[in-house]
Amino acid sequence: MNDPVIWSRLQFAFTITYHYLFPQLTMGLAPLLVFWKWRALRTGEARYAQAARFWARIFGLTFAVGVVTGIPMEFQFGTNWASFSRFSGNVIGQTLAMEGMFAFFLESAMIGAFVLGEARMTPRTHFLAAVGVAAGSWLSGFFILVTNAFMQHPVGYAVAADGRLHLASLRAYLDNPWALVMFGHNQMAALVTGSLSVAAVGAWYMLRGAHCDQARLYLKDGIAAGLLASILVAFPTGDAQAKLVARLQGPALAAMEGRFHSGPRAEINLIGQPNVAEQRLDNPIRVPGLLSFLAFGNVQSDVRGLDDFPRDTWPTDIEVLYYSFHIMAGLGTVFILLMLAGAVQAWRGRLQESRPLLWLILLSFPFPFIANTAGWAAAELGRQPWLVYGLFRTEQGASAAVSAGSTVFTLIGFVGLYFVVGLLYLALFGRELGRGPVEASHD
Amino acid sequence: MIEAAYTVLVVMLTVFLVLEGWDFGAGLLHFVVGRNEAERSAVLDAIGPLWLWNEVWLVAFGGMTFVAFPSVLASAFSGFYLAFFLLLWCLILRGVAIEARNQLGDPLWREAWDVTFAASSLLLAVLIGAALGNVIRGVPLDSRGNFAIPFFTDFGVRGRVGILDWYTLSTATFVVSLFAAHGASFLALKTAGPVHERSGQVARRLWPVVLVLLAATAVETAIVRPDLFTGMTHRPAAWIALAAVGAGASTALVCQASGRDRAAFAGSCALISGLMGAGAAGVFPVMLHSTLAPQDSISAYAASTDAYSLRLALIWWPFAVILSLGYFWFVFRHYRPGAR
Repeated sequence: MNDPVIWSRLQFAFTITYHYLFPQLTMGLAPLLVFWKWRALRTGEARYAQAARFWARIFGLTFAVGVVTGIPMEFQFGTNWASFSRFSGNVIGQTLAMEGMFAFFLESAMIGAFVLGEARMTPRTHFLAAVGVAAGSWLSGFFILVTNAFMQHPVGYAVAADGRLHLASLRAYLDNPWALVMFGHNQMAALVTGSLSVAAVGAWYMLRGAHCDQARLYLKDGIAAGLLASILVAFPTGDAQAKLVARLQGPALAAMEGRFHSGPRAEINLIGQPNVAEQRLDNPIRVPGLLSFLAFGNVQSDVRGLDDFPRDTWPTDIEVLYYSFHIMAGLGTVFILLMLAGAVQAWRGRLQESRPLLWLILLSFPFPFIANTAGWAAAELGRQPWLVYGLFRTEQGASAAVSAGSTVFTLIGFVGLYFVVGLLYLALFGRELGRGPVEASHD
Repeated sequence: MIEAAYTVLVVMLTVFLVLEGWDFGAGLLHFVVGRNEAERSAVLDAIGPLWLWNEVWLVAFGGMTFVAFPSVLASAFSGFYLAFFLLLWCLILRGVAIEARNQLGDPLWREAWDVTFAASSLLLAVLIGAALGNVIRGVPLDSRGNFAIPFFTDFGVRGRVGILDWYTLSTATFVVSLFAAHGASFLALKTAGPVHERSGQVARRLWPVVLVLLAATAVETAIVRPDLFTGMTHRPAAWIALAAVGAGASTALVCQASGRDRAAFAGSCALISGLMGAGAAGVFPVMLHSTLAPQDSISAYAASTDAYSLRLALIWWPFAVILSLGYFWFVFRHYRPGAR
């Protein structure tokens, strides 16, 4: 427990997990907001403007928490991971600096104008502010995912005489296949969060019989976007992501699937509990050959198990990795089914009367957040024991000058501060929902 | 090229200090110039919808330090570990306060966030002042480029120093007074009514204090880090910066007294920029000075990133700045404050 690496890992995991609850909602809401603003501009229908106005308030609140919890993320590279920053700063510094210079300036200039500016700007310039905020939030995600993709699958670098990494080709670095696939997968997952939140609020108002006109719009557009996103998150993006893991991070794939032993006709384990001590999966329900097919396109393919890899390349937390991956994949399947059911009922014009389905949609709103978190846990734990895959191990990366005690203190500080911020967010979020999409503006 | 990268960082930090200097200054004067809730709302309105854009200059400065001088970032951020997190938490609390305040109309709620806003603004000014003092005085860097600095030791400025000593406490005091005067000039320019009156009064009283403290800090700096002034003598950039300091300080003092708010505020901006420019030119190429052994100091030449990466960053940086100013102009032009 006096190992500073563990505490720095916990602190980064805690702060990034908490932080990302908010950007996934704003990145997911952004396309819907732009769509409604655009419809309002084109058709002049009040309901679109009303929807954009209501969700802009939620967006502004969420964005603010995302910003304040995001500031410590970039700086922790220097404070807690100084050795890692020295080792790879020549490369990943590029995208982290670009995020600040290209994305944050755009978002920060436009957000105030977008949230407070409807009455203070023309409809057209206000629409442009919405587009600016949306583009900035997605651009920010892109630069972060390129950075992460380099840690997952380093490309475009050279090793210098002093052992540090140098950038060899910016193009290769930005064009990392891992980055493109992960960006698609991640943005669709964020859109699942955004659209399911919209649909869930619609279901809630519908069940209460309040703001029914707006509720119908939220359900219709939320389910349409949610169906599209939940399919795209699985195929092609999730599928492509899995194939990359299979090809480039063998031990991670084996651990995600609880596959301790190598062999052909590899199965998918729908459920089961990994027993690392005994090197087996307890109580599994298997689909034979499916993993071989999903990973390599052929049911007969050989899929390597953990026994095929040296012990010191195994992910450090196999159980957590296994469950994170299964929770993500399981929930992803549930979202597709739920959105399909919603779409069918909406198409038949029966959605408003099917109270059980409305209840299901309402109660489903926390689960995209869980699925996104689990997906990121799977990506990051699958990368272990490496900080930069195959090049630099996690235990090499922490700051030499920082003691475990200091990190414990700052971790506790973050837990306390973020608890307060979370309470505040929930209270204000609840207040906005309680007030609902009504005309009165408040500032 | 390394000089260009160093200049980029100095420019970004200067822009941040000028922009957030008025935000933090207005914040720490929140209760001085805003005696009731409506007046404090006017202070926050003056800071306006672009305060976040101002703050991004710090985040972007961090990003540019990462790409241009990764080992400086690694040494400095991990060395100032606890102080750095205090700074981050203050930034978080201040941002939350601005956002949360107007969510409820309840007077106690607003007062609580006003206090949070003012207190975190004050603490941020103190931390920034102490941080700048630490960069000038130096830190106990070892031969591997690491240091761990306690909050205080014996308050001396040599050898095993702490973050706070007699010198950094006086730079912190100076920066608090400077931000306060800068913020007061800003509010005098941007507000009307009682807040305008009081801000002008505060600024007129503060500027002489700032100039006295500036002279005192300059003398102290000559004692603590004499090579800073010898460095200035053979760098023309420093002469220009010192001219800006002189012109800015006298303009702020004279014009504030005669009620020319716009000129006084411009002088204040010139003063802050000049101080940053002169200091940065004086210490170059040393980015982190070692109080233990001068040869362990981190120089810009040793700490910079590889040439290819640096060249790329210097190519795209101007485009990013132009775009950023474009966004600022767009909002400034199309957003009418106060309209409902």
